[in-house]
Amino acid sequence: MAQTKKTLLTQPLVDNNPITLQVLGICSALAVTSSLQVALVMALAVTAVTGFASMFISVLRNQIPGSIRIIVQMVIIASLVIIVDQVLKAYAYDVSKTLSVFVGLIITNCIVMGRAEAFAMKNPPIDSFIDGVGNGLGYGALLLVVGFIRELFGAGSLFGITIFETVNNGGWYVPNGMLLLPPSAFFIIGLLIWAIRSWKPKQVEEREYKIQTVEGH
Amino acid sequence: MGLRNFFERIEPHFEKGGKYERYFPIYEMVESLVYTPKTVTTAAPHARSYVDMKRIMTYVVLATIPCIIMGLYNVGLQVNSAYETIPVSGWRAAIIDFVGIGFNAANPLANIAHGLMYFIPIYLTTLVVGGIWEVLFATVRRHEVNEGFLVSSMLFALILPPATPLWQVALGISFGVVIGKEVFGGTGKNFLNPALTGRAFLYFAYPAYMSGDTVWTPVDGFSGATALSVSASEGYQALAANGVNWMNSFVGTIQGSIGETSALACLIGLAFLLITKIANWRLVVGCMAGMVGFSLLLNMIGSETNPMFAMPWYWHFVVGGFAFGLVFMVTEPVSASHTNVGRYIYGALIGFMVVMIRVINPAFPEGMMLAILFGNVFAPLIDYFVVQANIKRRARRNA
Amino acid sequence: MPDVQTQKQGPLARFLAMPPDSTPKTVFIAVALCLVASMIVSATSVALRPLQEQNKLIDKQKNVLQVAGLYEPGMNVLEAFSVFEPHVVDMATGTFTDEFDATTFDDRAAARDPELSIRLTDDPAGIGRQTKYATIYLLRDDDGNIDKVILPMHGYGLWSTMYGFIALEENGNDIFGLQFYDHGETPGLGAEIDNPRWKALWGGKKLLDDQGELQITVAKSAPAAGSDFHVDAIAGATLTSVGVDNLVRFWMGEAGFAPFLETLKAGDI
Repeated sequence: MAQTKKTLLTQPLVDNNPITLQVLGICSALAVTSSLQVALVMALAVTAVTGFASMFISVLRNQIPGSIRIIVQMVIIASLVIIVDQVLKAYAYDVSKTLSVFVGLIITNCIVMGRAEAFAMKNPPIDSFIDGVGNGLGYGALLLVVGFIRELFGAGSLFGITIFETVNNGGWYVPNGMLLLPPSAFFIIGLLIWAIRSWKPKQVEEREYKIQTVEGH
Repeated sequence: MGLRNFFERIEPHFEKGGKYERYFPIYEMVESLVYTPKTVTTAAPHARSYVDMKRIMTYVVLATIPCIIMGLYNVGLQVNSAYETIPVSGWRAAIIDFVGIGFNAANPLANIAHGLMYFIPIYLTTLVVGGIWEVLFATVRRHEVNEGFLVSSMLFALILPPATPLWQVALGISFGVVIGKEVFGGTGKNFLNPALTGRAFLYFAYPAYMSGDTVWTPVDGFSGATALSVSASEGYQALAANGVNWMNSFVGTIQGSIGETSALACLIGLAFLLITKIANWRLVVGCMAGMVGFSLLLNMIGSETNPMFAMPWYWHFVVGGFAFGLVFMVTEPVSASHTNVGRYIYGALIGFMVVMIRVINPAFPEGMMLAILFGNVFAPLIDYFVVQANIKRRARRNA
Repeated sequence: MPDVQTQKQGPLARFLAMPPDSTPKTVFIAVALCLVASMIVSATSVALRPLQEQNKLIDKQKNVLQVAGLYEPGMNVLEAFSVFEPHVVDMATGTFTDEFDATTFDDRAAARDPELSIRLTDDPAGIGRQTKYATIYLLRDDDGNIDKVILPMHGYGLWSTMYGFIALEENGNDIFGLQFYDHGETPGLGAEIDNPRWKALWGGKKLLDDQGELQITVAKSAPAAGSDFHVDAIAGATLTSVGVDNLVRFWMGEAGFAPFLETLKAGDI
């Protein structure tokens, strides 16, 4: 097997990051990154779901009938998501209030389904679990970077602790309101993809067109 | 021709294999700013014309001159009028005091001088910060710096409120140049208007500095609402009570961004751009038609709760950024539609959206910026359908 | 002899050895998975329900504590809240009612219930239906006299319905504080209704003037009645400020808590 357990875990962090390379799971990344705390909880929730969903699906992979494959995967993922949602409501109520519907929407997060279908259906449980966790962490790492930028420059704080005293509270920092709005995550993720692809040119996709050169120029 | 000789002497250093090969874009920028560009299209099948990109861009900058003058006058006028009731303060006032021009709002020269004190720092910041980005990208990508930036920076400075802090100016133009233009590959490949992209960024990032009643006249303690925000809350009939009538809105002595209060100055610029055929008249016609048509429709529908429904089209034309946007942004060739039919549709879409945003959206009294950016996004799609329709029509004809 | 082989295995092993796509196995997997999944999900849900209910309660009580100026981070909310006396008020008569249990009465649900609410024809706060009963909280001092009353209110801002509380002094006219706990206004502009500096402006303002006219207003400049009745609008957030103005005037007016405040002033509580 080409992939060792270690690369299964580390590959998705940068080289095969589900958000920046595969561009999956964007919509939740826009919605939950306005503060670091929320981003962190979401990252953990997604990591737990991808990890365990991949593991359970991998355990059952030889028994799952091909005809209802997707539905079986969905049932397993959905159950896990509901459990995570319930646990958050019980033990992290404030955060779960901000996350609101986005925990539930992990069910439709392409990363979870993608790993289940592409990896867990063909690999043993331990490997699948590690792969799921790795992808969850890759997603989480990007969430944290975006959350860091958005909270620091949008509200002048990190994890709710004031770093830059804002003007409205008598300080000097004028917070950038756009960073508190979801579209700003688009720009930040776009710029991050740009940065990562400049750093690792291997990730740049091939052009879909060819530039023709004309004689006489 | 000492300068020419100088350029010729140093040129080899910047060409391929030369010592400063990497910095060729900078050399080229300075050289072509002073002389006509050396690389001009020669091979068939291109039509040859003396109108190169440099000339287009220079003409657009020339066309903004009436707006600049009126803008300077108006900023000075508003500030000097405010100083009649509020104590004079700040370094600008100190300089004016020192030179001895005075704060007489009835003296046009004093107004222009005071306006300059606000405009020059904003414009210089735009030019320097935006210029650094341009040169940086040109150097890294090894392409040439072009004059498009002169237009973007001038337009950007003109659509800002005079009280904009300079660090925000710097951030805004950075966002405009990088996200609005360079990420797509530079001038000619951008589908958004860079100046408006920067302005929109500031509008959403620092709304308290880009809207409200205290940003239009940069005097501490002075508060004056724009004609549009008065209309949005009390109806355009209430404008008279605020000292705004149609004529002074048309001439441009009202609250607003630096260069966009005067519809008259914009029209002079428009005439110049149309005569030199730099602006495409179809875009202008489309946009006017969209705006007039939709505002007439809303006039007919009417509304008891929303006074903006009653605003007639000739008011829409003179208040806010409509005239400025129409003349300098809608007609911008790169981000507009490229087909003739598409130009009518593109213009009409923007005209419609302006009225839509101004009248129906409760949060944004000014609609031109968002409407044009919206139009920009749709321009390629409009072109696509126009081209497809044409292909189908011809296929049928030849079938 | 394959038959003998099969005979030797138990029924479970034979079943597992069937190809996954055979009909009995497909049905079995589907049913079994649904059963297992639903059992696990409902077990978690039931097990965690009490904790979740408590969280909801704490959250609501925290807001009441905050508006009364009693909240400190890390405090035991349930314990601190015991100083409050919840009551359900009949909005029309302005008196307490025993029809409902004040600790469990749900205002938001009541506002949706046609039995417990009325459709408003004159609706400046943009709330649609007005509840006939509302939960209010009394705070008494050590001698058992009323110290503060906390009244719920809500109304439409620019983008969203804003839910909050207002705390009044014992005379039912002086404002102690105001607090919104649920809204979706623009971050940096309308959302500044959460800014402690702006909320601090409310302390010490009065609802009614000496003639008993409702004068409190949120506006850019002070009204004729004087600055005791005026809170500065939030800069750059005209429509949210108008929303707050409307909702405070609505809830403190005749259609809101005015009858109750009359009862309070008459000393009938």
